[in-house]
Amino acid sequence: MSDSPSAGTEPTVAEKVFTFVDERVGLKLLAAKMLNESVPGGSRWAYVFGSLLLFIFIMQSITGVLLMFYYVPTADHAYASTQYILHDVDYGWFLLSYHFWGSSAMVVCVFAHMSQVFLWGAYKKPRELIWLVGLALFGLVMAFGFTGYLLPWDQRAYWATTVGVEIVDKMPLLGDFVARFLKGGPTPGQMTLSRFFVIHVMVLPAALIALAGLHLFLFRCAGPAGPFRGTPTELKAKTDYFFPRQIWKDVVGMAVVFACTSALAFWEPVVLLEEATPDPGDYHPEPEWYFLFIFQHLRLRMFSGEFGQFLGSMAFPGALGIMLVLLPFFDRNPERNIFRRPFALIGWVVLTVSILLFTVSAIINREFLD
Amino acid sequence: MNEHIPPTKLGFGILWPAFWTGLPIKLALAVLFLAFGIVDFENRIALAFLMLLASPVTVFALPTIIMGLDSHIGEGAGIPLLFILAVPIDIWALKIVGRTFFLERLRREPPGWLGLTLWWKSALVGAIFIPILWVVEGAITQGGISVVHSMFASDPLKGIPVAERISTELTLWGTVSSVVLLLLLVVGFSLVGRLIRGTVESAGHAPENYQGLITRWDLMRVPRDQGLMLTVLSGVAVLLSVLFWSYLPVFTPHPHDCCKKPEVEAAPPFKPLETLNKDEKMLAHLAAQVEMLVEQRAKTERQKEQSKEKGKAGKERAEGEEVSESLEATEPPPAAAADP
Repeated sequence: MSDSPSAGTEPTVAEKVFTFVDERVGLKLLAAKMLNESVPGGSRWAYVFGSLLLFIFIMQSITGVLLMFYYVPTADHAYASTQYILHDVDYGWFLLSYHFWGSSAMVVCVFAHMSQVFLWGAYKKPRELIWLVGLALFGLVMAFGFTGYLLPWDQRAYWATTVGVEIVDKMPLLGDFVARFLKGGPTPGQMTLSRFFVIHVMVLPAALIALAGLHLFLFRCAGPAGPFRGTPTELKAKTDYFFPRQIWKDVVGMAVVFACTSALAFWEPVVLLEEATPDPGDYHPEPEWYFLFIFQHLRLRMFSGEFGQFLGSMAFPGALGIMLVLLPFFDRNPERNIFRRPFALIGWVVLTVSILLFTVSAIINREFLD
Repeated sequence: MNEHIPPTKLGFGILWPAFWTGLPIKLALAVLFLAFGIVDFENRIALAFLMLLASPVTVFALPTIIMGLDSHIGEGAGIPLLFILAVPIDIWALKIVGRTFFLERLRREPPGWLGLTLWWKSALVGAIFIPILWVVEGAITQGGISVVHSMFASDPLKGIPVAERISTELTLWGTVSSVVLLLLLVVGFSLVGRLIRGTVESAGHAPENYQGLITRWDLMRVPRDQGLMLTVLSGVAVLLSVLFWSYLPVFTPHPHDCCKKPEVEAAPPFKPLETLNKDEKMLAHLAAQVEMLVEQRAKTERQKEQSKEKGKAGKERAEGEEVSESLEATEPPPAAAADP
């Protein structure tokens, strides 16, 4: 739409509506601020992950609301209503499968986004606050996955939650309280389901929207970091606005995420196990795939016993979390090129390979147990 | 600049972005084929994704792997169709990426038919090299797993707990397998780089300075008619969405044991006009039959009378009675009952 109707012609209805809104909220200024953000070094595919996360969250919200039209969050109806969604609601199987795989896509994109920020050195001054809020958002994404996993109320959901709550229980000081609060009783039951449902559909979305808004605000204040390589002449020659090229890349990225999530929904649609019971029977309890690496390393002999389990489930992951929180404050070297930061590069490679190794080990271990 | 770019860097610099440039279109087709139900990737979706991503080099290698090495990435007529449709997409992607690479990195004029030239050279290398990579990598991985298994089955290492054993085994054979794969990939990119170096050397130098080159490269990415492009893209998106939702199964293709629906044969739909026409035809047919039977009876009666007149033998009379009895048995219902 043009900024102002050309002289001598009557403005169209759309132009009138635009002018009406613009006079009241400053739409032109807002659009200019949103779209004319300067991107140092030009648009890049590496920058798409933040937008992808926003897209996945929106898709999760839409599919989640549609699923809530049919889902009943009570222990005696949750399983039946999920089966009803899968078997009787038109396209319900696809919505549920998309929602299920969408959560995995979110975890993958969060990891990719955090890796890009870490490797680009974009957490350094003056972007420390963006990094901290990003870490909180990462925690929320993992919490979304954990709380949503219980809702279908089948054996997999029940036992994954049992294992997860047991891990939380090992946390010093607050562990017992948090575990009892989440379960709402000695074993997972109606209270657990109610609490997980409320946290999943109300508390976490509200927190995520608030923190994502703050994250974007802080990002706009500090501005994009740009690439870590390139001479000033090269960077200046390629510098571009956010619209249209970065937006085009973001849109293509969103299409790819949608296609991949849909393909996964076709390839492996959600199929429930038997309804949840306190007896696991032949089922070997294990958490969702993105928690498998923690689950697998807890199987190691060195983490056996009360103290070992505490070390493996709380102390080491907690130490890693604290290190990530403190990272921008102890890494004060302004050098951003990852190839000149060997400790950062080696640390990232070791962590990524370890996560991959223990996740695959857990899958092999599952086959061994079966 | 970059007069002597190493072949590995050259091959990787062109192929890697070309893989990703064509991917969104190929993925859209793959999802559509999944919705149509003409593709089933079974448990090899990750491998299928990699093969589709690298289709500029795997397009001719895949048939060799499927037929020659008795392996597959899934089933269905959609898989060959997908790889055939990937050919023009890859040529387009290689053209876009190649022109960017020639201008921005090599500072040379992109020659004509660049996409097609790069495509056939990449596909040729892939057709020979990918099956070799497949065989070597498969043999190394299988060998590594066997050796590591036998190591851990020996007496001194038998007592190692399962979790530690699995992780250590995976680390050992995974490291060997990954290193070999990386080396083979470097060789593969290097081969492609060597084959396309001739095209690079024959291209003339671009006359502009860096800023001028970037401006040209930048403008090259802007469509001549942006409105038309936006309209076409929106149209394609709408068409794909309509096709997707039209063919998407309404109910789950994998029903749980608890909720399998009984197979009930649907009753044929009642069509009043067709039924009336059918009934009318039937009535006309029955009326014709009745008429024929009445005529036949009258004829028989006449024959009987004639035979009486001629004074034939009692045996012949008895035969005439039998005929009349059989006609009575097939006598049609009264006309009023058949009347609608």
